[in-house]
Amino acid sequence: MLTSVKAILWLHIIRLWRYKWSFLNMILTYVVWILLLMLGILLFVPKESLGITVKAAYWTILAWNVISQFSSLIGGWMGFFISTGMVEEHILRGISPFKVITGRVIPGFSVILMSQAFIAILLGEMFKVDVLGIINPALTVLSFVLLMMESLSYGLIISSISLRTSIPHAMLEILNFAMVGLLMMPVTSLPPMLGIIYLAIPYAAPTYLMKIATIGGIGGAPLYFEAMLISVVETLIFLVIGIYSMKRSEEWMKRNGVRAVGFW
Amino acid sequence: MRLVTLLKAGLTLDLYLFKNNRAAFISMLLWPYLVLALILGMGLSFGNPSSFKQKVGMHIDPIVYFVASTFIALSSLDVMWGISGQILFQRWIGTLPYTLIAPYRTSVTLIVTYIPRYLLSTFINILEFTPLILLMNGLYQGSIKIAVLLLAATIGMFPLLGFSALFASFLLAIKEESNVLSWINPIILMFSGAFYPAYLLPYWARLISHILPTTYTIELARTAAWLGSPDLTHITFLVGLLAGITIVYNLTAYLVVGAGEKKAMKEGAF
Repeated sequence: MLTSVKAILWLHIIRLWRYKWSFLNMILTYVVWILLLMLGILLFVPKESLGITVKAAYWTILAWNVISQFSSLIGGWMGFFISTGMVEEHILRGISPFKVITGRVIPGFSVILMSQAFIAILLGEMFKVDVLGIINPALTVLSFVLLMMESLSYGLIISSISLRTSIPHAMLEILNFAMVGLLMMPVTSLPPMLGIIYLAIPYAAPTYLMKIATIGGIGGAPLYFEAMLISVVETLIFLVIGIYSMKRSEEWMKRNGVRAVGFW
Repeated sequence: MRLVTLLKAGLTLDLYLFKNNRAAFISMLLWPYLVLALILGMGLSFGNPSSFKQKVGMHIDPIVYFVASTFIALSSLDVMWGISGQILFQRWIGTLPYTLIAPYRTSVTLIVTYIPRYLLSTFINILEFTPLILLMNGLYQGSIKIAVLLLAATIGMFPLLGFSALFASFLLAIKEESNVLSWINPIILMFSGAFYPAYLLPYWARLISHILPTTYTIELARTAAWLGSPDLTHITFLVGLLAGITIVYNLTAYLVVGAGEKKAMKEGAF
């Protein structure tokens, strides 16, 4: 068990080092695209509220980055894994391909960390805003972990589906892109009942918690406890679905063989 | 092989791609509105249109401004990916050596097969935005704005063809497998003032923006966002400027790309 975990960790770390240009490429591409869109968005913002807006936008982007990297770098990698014939190789040696896929947390996390640091420096220089000046570090970490768990489970659900059928990659990108629109919505402007419905949308509650932790109370932080409860319950549901779909896919695969129609 | 055959091949390629890959076609239809919705949605939830007008320093309609920006940004990206990106794609799938030894020069094959595809996707994109523009500006004003956008997309394509061919030869020369285009393209758009006006950029960035063809295409498209009738003198000036840039870039591309192709023929294209 320990040997296989060590091997999986080693595989992903060494791949990250061997494909350093691709790694740099992923970081730069993300940063430049975000900056390009953000400059357009910030044209609407009055000078006096630029500081708080840049900070809110930064943490929304971070939430989006987690969702996007984990779903594409983890979920999307299954296609590559299938096409290189590695799924069969691992099953024959008694190692679940999903364990290998879960190791993609390493490149995913590295890309998130580097790109967010880069964006923070750029925004700090351009708008003179300290986007990393957080109010509640413990809540920031908790919301980040919850968001990561939800995204990881989603990525694993996608990879287990892609073992049985093909999924158009473009549709996943669009789903991720549409998610930003939902995440930027100010919960405080919604009536309480609608606010709870909004928070029930996957990723919305942990993102809201992250905003409370970094920007502040947002009007005394209404729906704080509801957001916390929804985040925890939702993450557990995501994890259960993720584990269940992985098990079902593995059983299906052992009965029917690997279908080489991948994700990409 | 006649040039018409290449044109036909390009068009058929896209039509069959749309027919056989419906998900790609649907995502192509969704992208422009998603980009527009993201910028306008976030912009309006964090700020207001009067701040926008104050910063831009012009009396313009923000919605048409970003429709024009999105339309031209996506069209320009399409040209850069369609021509320069083809080199990478063909290298990956192993067809680049065949294109290099085809009867026409590689750059001619890439450009001529691409033109009908560009016109088709531009037509689809403008068709998508037509209801929104007509709804916002009425039939008469809306039609003028659509005509300006179509003019910008068509005239703007010519210098970009040469510009992208230059990039294609650069990709042939560096033999880089990682996709440098995915971050170079948004940088080009940023310096061209795609969503943030180029004249608001720092001085050093403005110097770069002056040599990029996309800067003038975006500026031409944005005249559609001016409230009231567009200034014909300004439009004529920009069209003239784009015609001049077309000659410069295409002539340079003709000379440079030829050398790059010869090098690839001599040393191989793997």
